[in-house]
Amino acid sequence: MSMVTYIVRRLLWLLFVVFGVMTLVFFISRVIPADPVAAMLGGHAPADLVEEMRAKWGLDKPVIEQYLAYVWQLLHGDFGVSMASGRHVLQDLVEYFPATLELATVGALISVVGGIVLGVVSAVRRGKLADHVARVAALTGISMPVFWLALLMMLLFYFILGWLPGGGRLPYYMDPPTRITGMILIDSLIARRLDMFTIALKHFVMPALTLSFFGVAAISRVTRASMLDVLGEDYVRTARSKGLVENRVVLRHALKNAMLPVVTIAGIVYGRLLEGGVIVETIFAWPGLGRYATNAFLALDFPAVVGSTMVIALFYSLMNLVVDILYAFLDPRVRYD
Amino acid sequence: MKLRMLLAVLLVVSVVVVMPVLGQIPADTLVIGMNHDPIIDFAPERVYELEDMFILEQVYDQLVNFTGGEDAFKEVKPGLAESWEVSEDGLTWTFHVRQGVRFHSGNEVNADAVVFSFQRALDRHQAPIWIMEQFVPTKDMIQRVDDYTVSITTKAPIGEMLFAAAFGYQGIGCVLDPAVIQEHATGDDPLAAKWVAEHDAGSGPFTIAEWVKRDRIVLTAFDDYWQGAPQLRRIIIKDLPEPTAQKLALERGDIDVAWNLLPEMIVELRSKEGIRVVESSSSFSYHYLAMNFGCEPLSHIEVRQAIRWALDYNAITDGIMAGSAVKNQSIVPVGMFSHLDLSYAQNLDKARELMAKAGYAGGFDVELITRTDQPFTDIAAQIQQDLKKINIRVKITTMVWAEVLKVFRARTHQLLLARGSLDYADPSGAATMMAHCRVLGDDAEVKQMAWRCMYCPSGLADWVEEAAAEQDPRRREVLYKAIQALVLEEGPFVMLHNTLTQVATRETVVGLEIPAMWPYTELRGVSKTQ
Repeated sequence: MSMVTYIVRRLLWLLFVVFGVMTLVFFISRVIPADPVAAMLGGHAPADLVEEMRAKWGLDKPVIEQYLAYVWQLLHGDFGVSMASGRHVLQDLVEYFPATLELATVGALISVVGGIVLGVVSAVRRGKLADHVARVAALTGISMPVFWLALLMMLLFYFILGWLPGGGRLPYYMDPPTRITGMILIDSLIARRLDMFTIALKHFVMPALTLSFFGVAAISRVTRASMLDVLGEDYVRTARSKGLVENRVVLRHALKNAMLPVVTIAGIVYGRLLEGGVIVETIFAWPGLGRYATNAFLALDFPAVVGSTMVIALFYSLMNLVVDILYAFLDPRVRYD
Repeated sequence: MKLRMLLAVLLVVSVVVVMPVLGQIPADTLVIGMNHDPIIDFAPERVYELEDMFILEQVYDQLVNFTGGEDAFKEVKPGLAESWEVSEDGLTWTFHVRQGVRFHSGNEVNADAVVFSFQRALDRHQAPIWIMEQFVPTKDMIQRVDDYTVSITTKAPIGEMLFAAAFGYQGIGCVLDPAVIQEHATGDDPLAAKWVAEHDAGSGPFTIAEWVKRDRIVLTAFDDYWQGAPQLRRIIIKDLPEPTAQKLALERGDIDVAWNLLPEMIVELRSKEGIRVVESSSSFSYHYLAMNFGCEPLSHIEVRQAIRWALDYNAITDGIMAGSAVKNQSIVPVGMFSHLDLSYAQNLDKARELMAKAGYAGGFDVELITRTDQPFTDIAAQIQQDLKKINIRVKITTMVWAEVLKVFRARTHQLLLARGSLDYADPSGAATMMAHCRVLGDDAEVKQMAWRCMYCPSGLADWVEEAAAEQDPRRREVLYKAIQALVLEEGPFVMLHNTLTQVATRETVVGLEIPAMWPYTELRGVSKTQ
């Protein structure tokens, strides 16, 4: 099977997965024992208004009928209207998703670079001080609760040292650049505002580092294990016996072949950063999808809940696809069938 | 060599990244740290959330006004209407609109604008419309009499405070500039709902200059405000959802006011130099224990009274609530018109005596249902501990709020600890919820807390309706006080306290007063010293 056929097949499969997630979330949100209209109107609204609102949102119809209507809407590219904000869900997703995507991307980059460096150092210096330090750091990263780490960083770098801003994407006195991508770093570059880019970058440091802690830990552990396997292989010994410099042996021969499991875990980390940013978004006042989705869940805002879940599911599936495609580049033995 | 280059680049990046970025806040600018999560938009006819109401308070005016701190909701003050009168039959209200008041656009506020705004709210028919519709259901009941006179007819007579609470509601009661609305109307959106959701068409002391969602709201002073220009030139309401982040930003001086701090943070900040705690003296939110008349021992008046006397209210208010609540045992909150101050304290001897009188000296077992979160679980534990002293053995069951509500509505609880709040500033809401029940069946007209606790005393519902319609404020007050006294004596509720709104400010901030309904906090009189 050619690569193109494979990708097309996977994309169709991806649509099926997203559709499945949508269906599942749709039905789960309808069977939970709570009434979104009651949540929206408070406990004191008269019964006829409650009924009117239920009818307005189609909640008075049988669940299956609601589902079919929603699917019909989706097929026309309509994600529905948020019950809480009255805005189109798609409009809200476009508003909030870029901020999350940008933060998760920076976090994933730090995770990949930091994780691989730590993992390689740890494997090469196995059993030595650097290895122990890296392993303790990885263990801490995996076990430390994000909210605690975030608050600790904020206390140190913002409150005590005053080096970094305490939250948001830009200081309140600075007007954001014209919105093109919704990603502040890119938009400030497009607007040729280097000063703004630098300030925005400062705002990224704490949330992205906090977010990447887990990723660095996970990737470094996998890199270390995989590197240790590879470093024991015959071809590495051959490379060394040819008289190659150690750096070249490690980086050119060993690392590339150790990357397969690392790519897998990096894909998972990226996906996780994307959907797991809600705490970081809350503590660092980041206007992202995590907070939007959480509020939608709390307000039982069904269209917003289903819409944001679909975006995350879509992105997650896309990441998986990218990882699978990367396999072929890293290991020509991988065949797509 | 490459490694050195890399290190040099890293060093430069680090220096750039850690250079301090924040300047000092100018003296004419107030920066408030607030959680923006509840903020939806600023369309007056739709606004129901406290945070959105707070923004509208700064931007719009209503016919009548609730101003001042502690006494804000005890009497109605003139707003855009400088005076008003009600017809003999209590059905028609005539408002005289103040002349010379300007909208932010420069257009004059007049009778047409008032009629347009209320009729527009009825046309838009959003969730809060029931507050207006319960008294004024159709557009023809709102009429222009002349350029500066408006008449509003209600379907039944209602008291002045109740009328004011509905038409002074920070949302549907706002008066909008018809010309500005028409200017932004489109074929699909003839009432400019989309535009007004993100901008303003008001006459208040500030205008909405900028709204960056989940980032900041910037208000700028309106110099031609009819009550005088505000002291501040700019207010920035910055999104800071996390209380710890707000506290740190306040202490560093990056914000002037932290709006969503936790009670323990308030306790800590009280003694901090350079920081001041500002709090309301009450609020229209409360915690209460509901006792079901349908459950055998609780149907005895002596048992219900014994439970009231057995609780250590101070331990709950000062201990568990850490001073973030004010003790109140009446169904009408402290600070609201006609509140009856009849506070009592724990008296175990009296409680035991009442238990013996009811024939329950040996006590009984009872289930207490409440929410899974704080402070509910702590308050429930305190109640369990207190009631044990009069031999009532309490089993606590916790569940999520939606489930608690389901049990409450199904009337299958015995004891239930919950939180409630009133939608608007009039005692009729509290009286209707907690004292209006004519029949116990499913055909009841009001199925609120009294009905849910199967408390249906004959004649009390008549009092509640009579009080709502009463025109004479003194007689109205007497009626509400009688209702409160009766519910307190025999009713199914143990009211615990009203929760307070507590914020912390830099000590340079002066003139901030928070009324019992915090969204009605006016920032017009707030200023900053250098």
